[in-house]
Amino acid sequence: MIDVKEVEEPKTIPIIGSIEGMYTVFKHLFQKPVTVQYPEHKEDQGDRFRFRIYLSTDDCVGCTLCEQVCPNLTITMVSLDKENPRNKRKIYPSVNFGTCTVCRNCEEICPTDAIYLKDVFETARTKNSFFYSPTELEKNEDEVRR
Amino acid sequence: MESNLTNRYIELNMGPQHPSTHGVLRLKLTLDGETVKKVEPVIGYLHRNAEKICELDFYCDALIYFDRMDYVGAMNMELGYLEAAEKLLNIEPPERVKWIRVIMAELNRIASHLVWAGAFGLDLGMLTPFFYVFEEREKILNLFTEITGSRQETNYMSIGGVYQDFNDKIIFKIKEFLSEFPKKLDEVYNLFVKNDIFISRTKNIGILEPEVALSYGVTGPMLRASGIPYDVRKDEPYLVYDKINFTVPISKKKDVLARFIVRFEEMRQSVKIIQQALDKLPDGPFFNPKAKKSLMIRLRGEGDVYARTESTKGEFGVYIVGDGSVKPYRVHVRSPAFKNLSVLPYLSRDVLIADMVAISGSIDLVFGEVDR
Amino acid sequence: MSLLTRIAMILSFLGHYPSYILAYIIETLIVIIFGTVVVAGMVYFFRKYMARVQMRIGPNRVGKFGVLQVMADGLKLIQKESIMPQGRDDLPYKVAPLIIFIALMMGFIFIPYGPLAWLGTLTVTHSDVSLVILFALIAIMPIGELLSGIVSNNKYAVLGSLRGVAKDISFEVPMMLSVLAIVMMASARGVSPLDINGVVQAQNIPFAILEPLGFFVFLISMAARASYSPFDMGESDSELVTGNTTEYSGLRFGMFYLGLFGTIFLGSLILSTLYLGGYNGPFESYLGFIWLLIKTLVVVVISLTIWLSMPRVRIDKFVTFGWKYLLPISFINLVITGFIILGGIS
Repeated sequence: MIDVKEVEEPKTIPIIGSIEGMYTVFKHLFQKPVTVQYPEHKEDQGDRFRFRIYLSTDDCVGCTLCEQVCPNLTITMVSLDKENPRNKRKIYPSVNFGTCTVCRNCEEICPTDAIYLKDVFETARTKNSFFYSPTELEKNEDEVRR
Repeated sequence: MESNLTNRYIELNMGPQHPSTHGVLRLKLTLDGETVKKVEPVIGYLHRNAEKICELDFYCDALIYFDRMDYVGAMNMELGYLEAAEKLLNIEPPERVKWIRVIMAELNRIASHLVWAGAFGLDLGMLTPFFYVFEEREKILNLFTEITGSRQETNYMSIGGVYQDFNDKIIFKIKEFLSEFPKKLDEVYNLFVKNDIFISRTKNIGILEPEVALSYGVTGPMLRASGIPYDVRKDEPYLVYDKINFTVPISKKKDVLARFIVRFEEMRQSVKIIQQALDKLPDGPFFNPKAKKSLMIRLRGEGDVYARTESTKGEFGVYIVGDGSVKPYRVHVRSPAFKNLSVLPYLSRDVLIADMVAISGSIDLVFGEVDR
Repeated sequence: MSLLTRIAMILSFLGHYPSYILAYIIETLIVIIFGTVVVAGMVYFFRKYMARVQMRIGPNRVGKFGVLQVMADGLKLIQKESIMPQGRDDLPYKVAPLIIFIALMMGFIFIPYGPLAWLGTLTVTHSDVSLVILFALIAIMPIGELLSGIVSNNKYAVLGSLRGVAKDISFEVPMMLSVLAIVMMASARGVSPLDINGVVQAQNIPFAILEPLGFFVFLISMAARASYSPFDMGESDSELVTGNTTEYSGLRFGMFYLGLFGTIFLGSLILSTLYLGGYNGPFESYLGFIWLLIKTLVVVVISLTIWLSMPRVRIDKFVTFGWKYLLPISFINLVITGFIILGGIS
């Protein structure tokens, strides 16, 4: 048997209820504003907040799992001339941050933890391109900015 | 020129870039002075082909598209998809995951209803309650950031588990939020329902008879406000809703005000559900080893499955056909907001424009879900 | 000694009449500048008040505490291109915002501001019929609203201005009836009743205490005149985009915008003048202007709180309310006033 409860319309006194509402609104005048003045104050995002994809080219084995699992072709493999005995094919993931949805599938599927995400989210770029090559993915955000 | 003089009706276009319409709804109105004679909703401005894209990706990848359907209640969308996908792939989530999913879905239900209340207030011209409800929603989204790592499109649940486990700090924070929330909710509730003008704008407006609601396929709070106690969480319990004690709020008044009150009562019930779930949260793994992360793209399913859940807008059904490959053959979504929208032309016959706005606001439309 | 005579004394080298004429012009200019500054301040105050009530901060980037924000916005509006709709009726389209703005600014001239310290009385005009002129000016403003809606060749605008007219008709009769009660009251005290200055001087007890019903009617009428929520059905943004101002942009829109806030302030000013005792204060009255400002500010805060906490009234409900409740109430108020005068309480 479904537990059903019939809601009742509130009983209100005309005009008094409206004045109560006005008082409630007026009361909030003395509360602290909740606005965060963004560039000056940055809120703590929590331990699990992730945005920017990082890559450790030393660990990457070029298995292309991240490219396969990526839902919207954000990750594409590009070849990179770098000595890495574990990566015979010399292909590494590159990321287009314009389409990245931060689903974190690549981080979870990576067998060597070469791809990982960090809580850096200020990735505004001066160029009209969000395309990060593997070497740029290795660097910090302030070093990448061109 | 002659037809302009003889035609006594005005054709008026509301949307898709109109301040009143939710999302990108376009309404073609036929007006006789202030009275609405005919409403014709035009949808499709946010059509993103989500169902088709789901066929092109692995089973685990479809979640991000479901996140973006009802972006206000994304957890419920993920849940709806996973209920179907896990049945198809024969992966049973562990017990702890079920409780975690209940907590997340109900938190998101509160957030979604809060957004609706604020937007409904704006529809009627109330500026301030919008900010109060968004302040409360912000607390929920901060909780989500703490738990899942992102605010709205969380991609938190995965096949056979969740992204990361709950810990004591998170449980403490949720309890802290729940202890303060009902007081704030009552404050906002009184701000609305004690206002004479609000009552006069909503009472006896947009009366939806239960028979009509059933024939149009209306579900969710809309249907419950018409007096039919239909709730998938009770009628066909999924996850662990059968172990949780909660009531289904209904109203016999059938009008816009009834929908408003029913939604607020649902939020109070959600608080009760979360509190019980937090108390009963069992220990255990937070994902099924069969759906381990490295096996994510190798899950194969065959056959077809339909699963329904109670999303924030109503009954959310997902139909998946698998052909034995790693990708679904067909994904179909029964979107509650789309079905609820179909009743708008019926409700808006011979009402004033202002009432039409109130009625369309009371449906709770999210266009990511209507157009998919 | 009034401000007028002081200015005239400075200009006395021109002869008696020219100096007084020039002094009038200068004082009128001062009041218009005062009006503009007050309206700009009103916009700033509204934004800050709305922000704080909604737990936000409000403008805080341009200048200290964002005080220059209004100026920046004004400059932006002046610089903007004025986009005009095709098929408009050109002259009324351009005149409509001017009607509202000029009527508003002229309204400020007829308010008795009262004395301020050594400056003497700041009141500009001492017309015997200033009350009539003031309400005539207030009655002109709907014409601008109506014109702007009808000539801008837009369905939303037409619907908005039609609603505006329906609203104006339904509250203005009760408003004038409640003003009539004040005139009765003032004439019973032997002052010239059509002069606002006389009305203020007659208020040993504020009329709001003697005529609470009239005060209520007048408060609602002033709210409806300024057309903010709950009475903004003419420009209800969730139904008709912005109603009659839909097709306006640039400085013309700015005039409507300032007209809205100016009307709130002017309405509060009139309300505190007619019902709350104007520049009469509990202490020595050479600071009357300050008393008037304080009273006005309280009324403004109440009006803004009403604005921010109420949903919009449906137009037919408001018309019903106006004719079925406000009108009888104002008649009852008239009768009560008659009894008060007969009883000699005043």
